[in-house]
Amino acid sequence: MSPTVQPISRRSILKGAAATAGVAALAACAPDSFDGSGIHVQRVGRVPDDDPNHHTWGAAPATTVALGPQDMVLPQKLVPSVTEVRVRALHDGSRIGFLLEWDDADVNDLTVRNEDFRDACAVLLAPGEADAALRTMGAATIPATLLHWKADWQRDVDFGRKGLEDVYPNRSIDVYTPLWNVAPLDVEIGSYVDAGATEWLPGLHVENPMSAAEHTTPVEKAIAYGFSTTFTAPTQDTRGRGVRTDKGWKVAISKPLGGADEGEMAFQPGATSTCAFAVWSGAFHDAGSRKAPSITVHALNLAP
Amino acid sequence: MAEVFNWQLNRMMAYPYEESRPVRQAAAVFDTNKCIGCQTCTMACKTCWTSGNGQEYMLWNNVETKPWGSYPLAWDVRELELLGPQNWDGDTYAGKTIYEAAAAGEKNIGWIPTDMDYAYPNRGEDEVNVSITTQRYHLKMPHDMWFFYLPRVCNHCTYAACLQGCPRQSIYKRQEDGIVLIDEERCRGYRVCYEACPYKKVFYNHTTRVSEKCVFCFPAVEQGIQPRCMRNCIGKIRSFGFLSRPEEVREDNPIDFLVHVRKVGKPLYPQFGTEPNVYYIPPIHVASDDFLTMMFGPGCLDAIDSYKKAMRGDDPKLLAVLLLAVSTDRIIHRYKLSGETIEAWDENGDKVVSMPLKVPTLERVPYDEDLEVYRYNIT
Repeated sequence: MSPTVQPISRRSILKGAAATAGVAALAACAPDSFDGSGIHVQRVGRVPDDDPNHHTWGAAPATTVALGPQDMVLPQKLVPSVTEVRVRALHDGSRIGFLLEWDDADVNDLTVRNEDFRDACAVLLAPGEADAALRTMGAATIPATLLHWKADWQRDVDFGRKGLEDVYPNRSIDVYTPLWNVAPLDVEIGSYVDAGATEWLPGLHVENPMSAAEHTTPVEKAIAYGFSTTFTAPTQDTRGRGVRTDKGWKVAISKPLGGADEGEMAFQPGATSTCAFAVWSGAFHDAGSRKAPSITVHALNLAP
Repeated sequence: MAEVFNWQLNRMMAYPYEESRPVRQAAAVFDTNKCIGCQTCTMACKTCWTSGNGQEYMLWNNVETKPWGSYPLAWDVRELELLGPQNWDGDTYAGKTIYEAAAAGEKNIGWIPTDMDYAYPNRGEDEVNVSITTQRYHLKMPHDMWFFYLPRVCNHCTYAACLQGCPRQSIYKRQEDGIVLIDEERCRGYRVCYEACPYKKVFYNHTTRVSEKCVFCFPAVEQGIQPRCMRNCIGKIRSFGFLSRPEEVREDNPIDFLVHVRKVGKPLYPQFGTEPNVYYIPPIHVASDDFLTMMFGPGCLDAIDSYKKAMRGDDPKLLAVLLLAVSTDRIIHRYKLSGETIEAWDENGDKVVSMPLKVPTLERVPYDEDLEVYRYNIT
C-alpha cells in the first residue's frame, strides 16, 4: 500500500518545534527500566495527553509489551502485523494517561479508498489484578473500558474532516444530492448537517460515532462486555494525540481516573487493576478483530 | 459451524449459524432474455439511495455484460478462482462452498476490491466475439459471438456471507421478509462483509466510514409495493414477490411457480453456497453450456428448454406468469390463468392485474380518408 500524503498543519509545525525540546528533555530524565511486574503508573503534576513528545512522559518507566496473534475469535489474525509496543503510563490524580509507541513504516490515516484501512491502537482497562480472563474484551459481568486511538480521526482533528479530495484532487462529481446553497463540488459531510439533510447519509443520520461530521478527539472511549459487544461510551471524555516518529507512531491517550459511564473503569491511586494493549496496521488491512493484541494482560499499578 | 440445508446445492453444508429461514423470502426472477441493458434500474436505484457524498462509486443495482463485463472488475472470476474446483454430481454440488473452503482463522474465502476495480462499471459492455468467418469482417475476437446482460442487486441470501462475516453481528436478516440489512448504528466499518460477499454487493461509504448495501426498498415492500429497480424496469424483465419456504411452495404464487414449479428461475453461482434469492432465467442463445452451468447451476439447460416451450406457446401458464412481470407496482401474491385472461391479486386480496394472454391487434387501413393522410403505423 502506498503511503498517503500527509499535509503539514500549522499545529504540527508548532508541535514539531516543541517536540525537539521534549525529546532532549526526555533523554535526560527518562527512567527507562522498571523492575516491578506490570505497568507502573507514575504520578506527575499533569498528564501531557496533548503532546506525545512531552518530557513528562519520561518520568514513567517504559515497558515493552509483546504483541501476538489474535486467535480467539473469527476472523483471526494469525500473524501479527506489529510485534511489540512500548508503553508508559502516568496519572496526575485526576486523569490517567498512556503513551504507546510502535514501529509501522506506512502511514495509514485515510480511509477513503475501499482498500484503505486505518492505523490504530487501543488500551484495555478492567478491574482485577492482571485478570487473564479479561483479555477477551471483558466479560459478561466484568466490563472492559477501551481507549481507542484512530489515525484517521487524528487526521480529522489536525486538518479537518476531508477525504475524497485528498485522494482524488481532480475528481468530477455530477450526481450529488442537491443541497441548498452548496455547489456540487463543495458538498462535504458538514453540508448535510447544515442543510438538515443527514438522511442522505445513513450512518450520520443515526449518529453512528464512526460517521460523525467532526471529531474533537482522536480517541474513542468504548465499553465492552466480551467479544463483539463493544459500544461507544455515552460520555466522550478521553483525550489524546498521535504523531509520527521516524519509525512509526507515538500516541498519547488519557481518560479521567473516575468513571462517568456505567461499566467504565474507575481508578484509585495506589490500587492495581488490569490492562492490555492492541495495535492495528492499516497497511495489513487490520480492522476489528484482525489486530495484534498483547499476548497477555498486565497489572496496572497506580502510584499513590 | 452448524450444518444447514441448502436446497440449491441439494445437500447439507457448513454455516456459522443454525438454519433459520424467514417466514417468507423477498425474491426476484430476472429474465436475461429480455434485458436490454438500458440501466434504467441502475438509475432508479442510484437517484433514490446512493446520490450522497461517499456513495460516488456505489451501484446497489448494476447491469453488466457477460461474459466480459463485471462490477467490480472480474468479481466473479476472482471468487471462482479462490473457490477452486466446482463439480456437480447430478443436482448435488460436490465442490466446496465459500464457507467450506475457508482458510484457518477465517470464516469464508474472500477478497477486497480496490477503488480501481470500481473505476469502469461498463467495461466489456457489448463486446462480442469471434467465430465471424465471413469475409465481411476483419476482427478476430476471443470467443463465440454472444453476450447477454446480467442485472444484479443484492441477493438477500438465505445464508448471507456478509451477515456471517461481520464480527459485530451488525448485519441481520429480517424474519418477516428475509431482507438482509446493515445496522447503520452498529457497523464500525471493518469491511469484513465487503470482503466476504462473493457477489460484491456490500459497499463501503468513505464519508460515513461504515458499510451500506441494497435494502430491497424495504419501506416500499412493507407497504406491498415493489422495489424501485423492479418497478422501473422498462424491459419488464423483473418479477418480484415472496418465495415460500421449500416445503410450503404454492403453485399460484408467481415466484414459487417460476423457481420451484417450472424451475426456470435459477440462482446465480449457487456453488458459492449462500443460497441467493435473486433468480435468473438463463439466456437461450449462449453457445457454451459449460459457461451457463457454471453461472446458473446444473438445471439451467432444462430451464432454457422450458422457457423456449413457453415462448412457442406450448406452456400458456408459464407465459402468463412471465407476462405478470412489472405489470403492476403492487407485489403480487397470487395469480390465476382463466382461459386467455391472467389475473393477479396483492396481499390484501385486491385484484391488481387483469390482462389478456395475448394483446389483441387492431389493424387500421393505411389511408385515413377523414384527414386525407397516409398512416405510417397501422397496427
